[in-house]
Amino acid sequence: MKTKNKSMIVIFLAPAIFLYTMVFLYPTIRTVIMSFFKVEGVTDAVSAWKFNGLGNFRTLFHTPLFMSALQNISLIWLVGGVGVMLVSLLFGVILTSGVHGKSFFRSVIYLPNVISAVAMGTMWINYVYNPNFGLLSSILKTLGFSEAAATQWTGPEMVFWSMLVAYCFGMVGYHMLIWMSGIERIPVDFYEAATIEGANVFQRFSKITLPLLKGVCRTNIVLWTVSTMAFFVWSQLFSPVNLSASTVTPMSYMYELVFGASNSAITVRDSGAGAAIGVILTIVVVIVFLFTQLIVRHDDVEL
Amino acid sequence: MANKKIRQKTNWKKELALAPGYLIVGIWVVFTFVLIGWIILASFSTTREIFDGNLFKFATGLHPENYVKAWKTHKVSSYFMNSLVYTLISCTVVIIVAAPAAYVLSRFKFRGNGFLQNLFATALGIPAIMIIMPLFALFSQMHVNQSRGLLIFLYIAINVPFTVFFLNTFFHNLSVTFEEAAAIDGCSPMKTFWMIMLPLAQPGIITVTIFNFITIWNEYFISLIFANTAKTRPVAVGLYSMIQSMRYTGDWGGMFAAVVIVFLPTFILYIFLSEKIIASVTGGAIKG
Repeated sequence: MKTKNKSMIVIFLAPAIFLYTMVFLYPTIRTVIMSFFKVEGVTDAVSAWKFNGLGNFRTLFHTPLFMSALQNISLIWLVGGVGVMLVSLLFGVILTSGVHGKSFFRSVIYLPNVISAVAMGTMWINYVYNPNFGLLSSILKTLGFSEAAATQWTGPEMVFWSMLVAYCFGMVGYHMLIWMSGIERIPVDFYEAATIEGANVFQRFSKITLPLLKGVCRTNIVLWTVSTMAFFVWSQLFSPVNLSASTVTPMSYMYELVFGASNSAITVRDSGAGAAIGVILTIVVVIVFLFTQLIVRHDDVEL
Repeated sequence: MANKKIRQKTNWKKELALAPGYLIVGIWVVFTFVLIGWIILASFSTTREIFDGNLFKFATGLHPENYVKAWKTHKVSSYFMNSLVYTLISCTVVIIVAAPAAYVLSRFKFRGNGFLQNLFATALGIPAIMIIMPLFALFSQMHVNQSRGLLIFLYIAINVPFTVFFLNTFFHNLSVTFEEAAAIDGCSPMKTFWMIMLPLAQPGIITVTIFNFITIWNEYFISLIFANTAKTRPVAVGLYSMIQSMRYTGDWGGMFAAVVIVFLPTFILYIFLSEKIIASVTGGAIKG
């Protein structure tokens, strides 16, 4: 019986482990190694790699465009993150407070996540932000703010914030679902007891909901970090021709550096630096993961 | 009677307390509808009507020819068919690979089980940027870059960890009595899996497959790098390249028609199955 199970375990796990090794494990290790070498083309043979120590990282931190990319991704992570977390938590609380049509609202708010980001971006750029017939300028005009209505939302000054708002709009639904499932796992009697004791809505929220959501909060922050580190499509959509300092992110910079478009601002291929960008992003994810775990672990509440 | 009245009264009071909530969520929902509704209207209008902001009048009638144009001359048909093939094959094979693995991990105690579970979980946090360069080099060497088969292979491999993760929980919640009964009847463990456990896991498999379908249908980065020729592009990359060329031709009606065609499959799927999709999001996220 036992040997039978053994062969079954091996046979059933082998394909998944093979794919994992080939597509996650081997590439990750190789990228880490590559980040310490001077590598020009991504297809260059290993024999052509030249050891470069931390040189790739040094080069990156002396490149103004990459520094813009880092600045942009930090703002997306922090400003966008705070915004998305607050709005999605607010929505989560509203939808779990006993409103009618909860599942309808929930479905509509999550909807942007099932639509291709390219399609969503096209809608925002060509409709919402259009200066002639766009939604934003129409609303502002109707309200009498003709000056604000003339703002070029996708112009160089506003494009970063326009991009951030459009991106965050879609992300709210995803994080709202995670908040909601956390809130729904809190036993109802906690609230009933608190209500009997005379706690109001805000007290119940700050004394029961919030502390019990620590674990969910951690999940949300980690997931937000993972998805923002991969920020790419939106930056390409909002600056389709060239990398621009206002929309570039580490991912789009790396794409130009390694795979390069024909009308690129970067003419030199540098795959070693591309790998270094990957390592930097991974380190960020790991740090955020460990940090959130540290905070929550201290007084985790088991439900 | 009296009882009913009281209940109604308290309800109204409660609804009033919830009013700000309705308002906030309502505005958001209306905005989403306006956004998508406008695109659909625009896809039936002429470029001129779009620019004049006269969408709701349809002065020159409906223009379904935008769709014909997008489908035929702008090659959306080719992108659409590519995506359909990629998505259907990948979704099927992902299950065939992930379900047995998830089953073994959830049912058998052996050395390294916990390690393997963690290993699959870490894949969810590895940025795509960490894996694409070596893969690109590897597949260039094998001369299979920019091919349909490669993209399908990558979609399968990339979606296996999440699927294992999701189905693991699902099998975990199935009762062990099924296997015990099968064993007594003389069914071998492997046969038990294919004949009994896999069919029992159907609800979980359907849920995770719908989610995988949407993910693969909308995938952009991997296909931009590994399948970016006019022939092999899936819809997301195809739409992007089309929008790029539209900026020169200025066919906005056609562009919005293409946008609608691209999001329609997942949109329709979502209208009917949103509960299942939402279940897979929360089911996958909470465990981490």
